[in-house]
Amino acid sequence: MVRIAILLLCLMPVAAGLLCAILPALGWFPPLGGNHFSFQPFVDFFAQPGLRRSICLSLSVGLLATFLSYWLAMFLLAILYGQGRAGFLFRLISPLLSVPHITIAVGFLFLLQPSGWLSRLFSPWLTGWQRPPNLNIVPDENAYVLILALIAKELPFLLLMGLSALSQIKVRPLLDTAASLGYGSLSGWMHLVQPQLAARLRLAVLIVMVFSISVVDMAILLAPSTPAPLAVRILTWFRDPDLSYQFVAAAAAVMQLFCALLACVIWVGIDKCILFVMARLSAAGQRFSFLPSSFVAALKKGGVVLAVWPCVMACFGMLAALIWAFADIWRYPSALPDKWGLSAWKYAYISLGQATFNSLILGLITAAICVSLALLWLQTETRESDKHAERLIYIPLLLPQIAFLFGMQILLIWLGFDGLFLALIWAHSLFVFPYVMLSLAPTWRRFDARYLAIAATLGAGPLRRFLSIKLAMMTLPVLTAFAVGFAVSSALYLPTIFASNGRVMTLTTEAVTLAAGAGRQNLGIASLMQMALPLLVFLICDRLARARLARFSFFKL
Amino acid sequence: MTLIMAFGLALTGVSAQAADFDLMAKKARGQTVYFNAWGGSPQINSYIVWAGSQIKARYGVTLVHVKLTETADAVARILAEKSAGKTRDGSVDLIWVNGENFASLKRQGLLRSDSWAFALPSFSYTDADALPGIISDFANPTDGLESPWGRAQLVFGYDTQFVSNPPRSAEELANWIEKNPGRFTFPQPPDFTGTSFLKQILLEVSPDKAIFAAPAREADTKAALAPLFAWLDRVRPHLWRGGVNYPPNYTAMVQLLGDGELAIAMAFNPAEFSNGISQGILPDSVRTYIHDSGTLANVHFVAIPFNAAAADGAQVVANFLLSPEAQIRKANPDIWGDPTVLSIPKLDAEDAAAFAALPRGRATLGPADLNRTLPEPHPSWVGVIERAWMARYSGNE
Repeated sequence: MVRIAILLLCLMPVAAGLLCAILPALGWFPPLGGNHFSFQPFVDFFAQPGLRRSICLSLSVGLLATFLSYWLAMFLLAILYGQGRAGFLFRLISPLLSVPHITIAVGFLFLLQPSGWLSRLFSPWLTGWQRPPNLNIVPDENAYVLILALIAKELPFLLLMGLSALSQIKVRPLLDTAASLGYGSLSGWMHLVQPQLAARLRLAVLIVMVFSISVVDMAILLAPSTPAPLAVRILTWFRDPDLSYQFVAAAAAVMQLFCALLACVIWVGIDKCILFVMARLSAAGQRFSFLPSSFVAALKKGGVVLAVWPCVMACFGMLAALIWAFADIWRYPSALPDKWGLSAWKYAYISLGQATFNSLILGLITAAICVSLALLWLQTETRESDKHAERLIYIPLLLPQIAFLFGMQILLIWLGFDGLFLALIWAHSLFVFPYVMLSLAPTWRRFDARYLAIAATLGAGPLRRFLSIKLAMMTLPVLTAFAVGFAVSSALYLPTIFASNGRVMTLTTEAVTLAAGAGRQNLGIASLMQMALPLLVFLICDRLARARLARFSFFKL
Repeated sequence: MTLIMAFGLALTGVSAQAADFDLMAKKARGQTVYFNAWGGSPQINSYIVWAGSQIKARYGVTLVHVKLTETADAVARILAEKSAGKTRDGSVDLIWVNGENFASLKRQGLLRSDSWAFALPSFSYTDADALPGIISDFANPTDGLESPWGRAQLVFGYDTQFVSNPPRSAEELANWIEKNPGRFTFPQPPDFTGTSFLKQILLEVSPDKAIFAAPAREADTKAALAPLFAWLDRVRPHLWRGGVNYPPNYTAMVQLLGDGELAIAMAFNPAEFSNGISQGILPDSVRTYIHDSGTLANVHFVAIPFNAAAADGAQVVANFLLSPEAQIRKANPDIWGDPTVLSIPKLDAEDAAAFAALPRGRATLGPADLNRTLPEPHPSWVGVIERAWMARYSGNE
């Protein structure tokens, strides 16, 4: 019952949103005079200039970013987890996990554009450039920088999901068995661990795929604009002053849906092929022993460097953003600001203060609601078959946001909820709740029920068992899920502008507005706040949990 | 006798107007006005914050700046509300518009239509004979659907370190671009400034400018735009980034001028470049100029949607924005530098003196240098130019 209510809350806006995209795409939108069904919107849509290129760009960005993040993540896991260095992995990824996408994009912009920090560091002493070179990079024609930025953000996410999945697989005994049969650590991993890991990560990978293919905020900054990827153009069509473009936008939204589906099918197909080949190799007992060990060692080192590289660049980019926040004047080609100062903070105090406050409040409330809902869901979950229902909550993550948000806005207006803070929290929850579940559910389900049985024999009632035993022992995962929820909420761009009628500025919407031009200092400050907030929440949650768990230090959790 | 009667009528008219406004201001007290305005410029945002504090203190009306990346966002939102049948309590109370967005709102009947703008007390400080643009937005009659806020004129800024003698016509500019590859660009249409630049070039290179005063007709557009595209085809390979990428708006372009990536940039505010110097975005060596034939000039407005929740409050805000006090502050280049829409002879001596005493930034042209203007083409050309440009240059297959 509770779960059906939660499902309805999550899926109703999505369904209504999709319907409100599909009907206008078929010509039915009475407010604009569309009273009968036709394919005219699709005809108009396909007549748009540069359409093929937009679609190819979207597909190539989505597929390449997903493919690279996935395999680099798998590679890192195989090498570092196999060596028992998961802790190092975790420290590597946690800062990047909590930072919003737009902050990473701003970092890449500040680092790599022709007048960026990298170019400043090496000019003019090495390059001879007194003025920024006229290079077509950031954005580049094939959106390689966008792919790089997406990898920097998605690789950590996949690593986290991978670590969580690996904790359910008995890796060590598997690898030991493989080793005893003469398999190296990498080939043992490939034959025994990888297939299980792949099966458990399929949902996460598809989320990454759909996100990458329909990303808007990062693409506004890092993708080419002549033409832009499909998702960005849909937003432009929705915004066109000529209102007849609403039909084109709706048709494009349906097309975006189709593209996402196509990309997922391509991915699953490739994945199946790879698994098939691996199964053949396993059956043949391929040990790859013909590869010289020096080559394998170099492969491991090179792979780690390659995988870590986008993340390191993202970190340098964010450092550049931090420097800009404290630069009064920073002319090209100075490597560091010509004049440090806080002059931009005067403006930031007025404008970003409100945005920071909004992000904080919105994130805390949404995360608290979603964690409570997740606990309700997990606690009322009884039978094994209920897990199928869980799949449905991921639907909002598996559909391109732009495809249903406009329609959802119409639903909100119809309900009289538009522009209300409640509507915004609702819209955020659609995306925050699934991530909270992803973070919390596996650990929660692995809870050793014998603790509860013991408590029951000692006379504790159900409520007490839940609060004093289960919740108390689960403090760390629950608070981690809370922090994840906060980070997801603070990164949302499209849901924020659509559900709040643009009335509520958060740091993310402010950053996108600022990134379009005005003042790198202000953008630097916005980025700084965006890094600080989620990190702060993570640290506080971590502190709280550890303080709470200090008493339980004898137990192995 | 008739003269006296007319005078008397005019007087009672004015006082009745003032009484109406007082009544409205009373009703507005306690309202919150959501002002949807482009939010990409820190100076403009700060100015709106100042206006909000004044309005709060005087009228008890709360002004909230909803920062738009594109004005069309708000237009689309008003439409979405109309589609959902929301005819009152809309989310937009006041919107900063002109030109094509206004034409679209007007055509779709999305604006409050009681000629409220003409009834504002501050409107009496304007003079439509001297500045026809305040009642005719891109040659489209405002009908009192929007209240004038400021004036704009296209100016070019150049860095004297790299350019000694700036090109003062479309033809000279094309020659300059060919000789200095990679150092000129314009914001990507449909950005407001980018489209305006295309219109400027179009007006300069077209043999017959008269057709642009009338609505664009499908049959003529190809021939009419041919000179523009000949000009663009010629310069495009030599543009910044080979004409494959463009900056998103003028603030980004001004930043590129500051970095030295560009040597010439443009803006719709004559004080923009002085502003940039005082903020440290631009070096001291930047100066401005306009083309010999004159440059595009227009007026920008604020309008109230048909379903505004706080229409009274919105009119109080519009009236304050048009008041001499607010206009003096807006025209100050240290604050924003947006030229006033008021008629100086209609002001009292003190306000007129305050306008005369405003500082002029070191890179800002004087009124004498800015008196050559070109009239805006009919707004229907905006869409035509934007789509033709996109069809031709934005689909790099």
